[in-house]
Amino acid sequence: MPKIKSSRTKRAPEGFDEIEPTLREFQQKMKDGKLINLSTFLSGLLIACIQSENDPHEGKRKIEALWPIFRLHHQRSRYVYELFYKRKAISKELYEYLLKQGYADGNLIAKWKKAGYEKVCCLRCIQPKDTNFGTTCVCRVPRDKLEEGKVVECIHCGCRGCSSGSGASSTGSAAGSKEGSSKTTN
Amino acid sequence: MAQIKADPNKVSWEESEFPILCETCLGDNPYLRMTKQSQAKECKVCTRPFTVFRWCPGVGMRFKKTEICQTCSKVKNVCQTCLLDLEYGLPVQVRDTALGLEDNAPRSDVNKEFFAQNMDAHFQNNEDGLGSGGFGKAESAGREMLKKLQRTDPYYKRNRQHICSFFVKGNCTRGAECPYRHEMPQEGELKHQNIKDRYYGTNDPVARKILSGPRAGGAGRQMTAPEDKTVTSLFITGVSEAVTEPDLKGFFYVFGEIKSIVVVHKSKCAFVNFTTRAGAELAFEKSGGGVNLQGTPMRVSWARSRPVGARSEQKGEAAPSPVAVMDALQAGPPPPPGSASSFTYPSQDPTYQGSTSKHR
Repeated sequence: MPKIKSSRTKRAPEGFDEIEPTLREFQQKMKDGKLINLSTFLSGLLIACIQSENDPHEGKRKIEALWPIFRLHHQRSRYVYELFYKRKAISKELYEYLLKQGYADGNLIAKWKKAGYEKVCCLRCIQPKDTNFGTTCVCRVPRDKLEEGKVVECIHCGCRGCSSGSGASSTGSAAGSKEGSSKTTN
Repeated sequence: MAQIKADPNKVSWEESEFPILCETCLGDNPYLRMTKQSQAKECKVCTRPFTVFRWCPGVGMRFKKTEICQTCSKVKNVCQTCLLDLEYGLPVQVRDTALGLEDNAPRSDVNKEFFAQNMDAHFQNNEDGLGSGGFGKAESAGREMLKKLQRTDPYYKRNRQHICSFFVKGNCTRGAECPYRHEMPQEGELKHQNIKDRYYGTNDPVARKILSGPRAGGAGRQMTAPEDKTVTSLFITGVSEAVTEPDLKGFFYVFGEIKSIVVVHKSKCAFVNFTTRAGAELAFEKSGGGVNLQGTPMRVSWARSRPVGARSEQKGEAAPSPVAVMDALQAGPPPPPGSASSFTYPSQDPTYQGSTSKHR
């Protein structure tokens, strides 16, 4: 999915320039962790200091190192989804351009349109073929059915509960506040 | 599943349909989901590949899996995970010393594998294990002793999570979501257990403890007056169904005023609580360690001030503890299945997706 501009590539549809800075930030976050200047955001979307591909893996479990990637992916797709479906701030043409260029995950957004799946964290967690007994991931269990008051972080993406009724916010659902504290340790 | 092998020395891998397990390892929930993986691990005893079964024995427990192969478990008649006897739930060493069984299985290298292979063929042909041995006279006395040593209810504490080693060092970053136990490890000798020792029945610290403990040898119980002066109770064992509270009262009242008597026929014991320490001491002295009522000989010893067994909820207090413990034991059966709030599993909830409630 080339995001490289050359003289032969078509121009992006209108409206792309407004959202481009945010998308760039997401891209940068995916690569390495840098402190974001909050004032550059017009959308008001808060991206905590999340490190992804280039960050050190010390102090983390093997699977835990992958969680920020899933979180960012969710957040990026969420941004595009909200722009188009909720706030209706971009055109259909631009939306489809974004999906095609890989700025958002069309399959994940398709799930968000379904009843009961509005806050799904990632596609791995609803895939029954990935589990021993053909069930979904533990993060799909609503909080009140979970008992014990135990915190669960699912092994796929570190999600702490993404069922629609569990009260988790959309950006906070994938990998909780622990990621925000990684800023202080580095 | 008889297999015809062209070469009798050829090593064939074990295939099994269901594991050989004890009830405690399976857990309290009658509904279980178990995974089966052929040749997933090597047996801890004979190092041959075998079918590994893995399941969750209850809420908050670690996932248990079979550790030894079926052949090894049949040879010794033990559970595939906990390596305790299937009939009594006792360590191999305890059972073998009680029944006088000798173990002459080879333990080294090729010898061991050859033996295991032979036993494998033996079991395939005539499906009998240790359980169907002859019943000699010495054995029935041993069996009596084993029956006394048995636990009365399942000990699910062994299914708990392992201790978080990061927590022990002081830095568990997982915190609340850490699945391992955040407790400090305890107990000296019992910590050094070896699976091979436990299986073959040599040098097993748990077995040593049981054999020298309260119900087996007898030398373990408190026969001298305890230092804690507030203990005014005597602990009586061997209490059969025929012996009742008035019987005990009639025997012990001469020594001093009795505060209360608690009899638990289920565990064949009784507590006689005196109001004064002097009364208890006199009673102990005069009874000489034993008392015979209704034709049953019973043993008398001092009650201990710490909690009795895994059943009690209280921490160790001084004199009130035996009475309090007995109250907890006599709390009666669990509430009837109609009660709406005591659900251990969602399947017990009658409003849960149309499934019917479980009757216990």
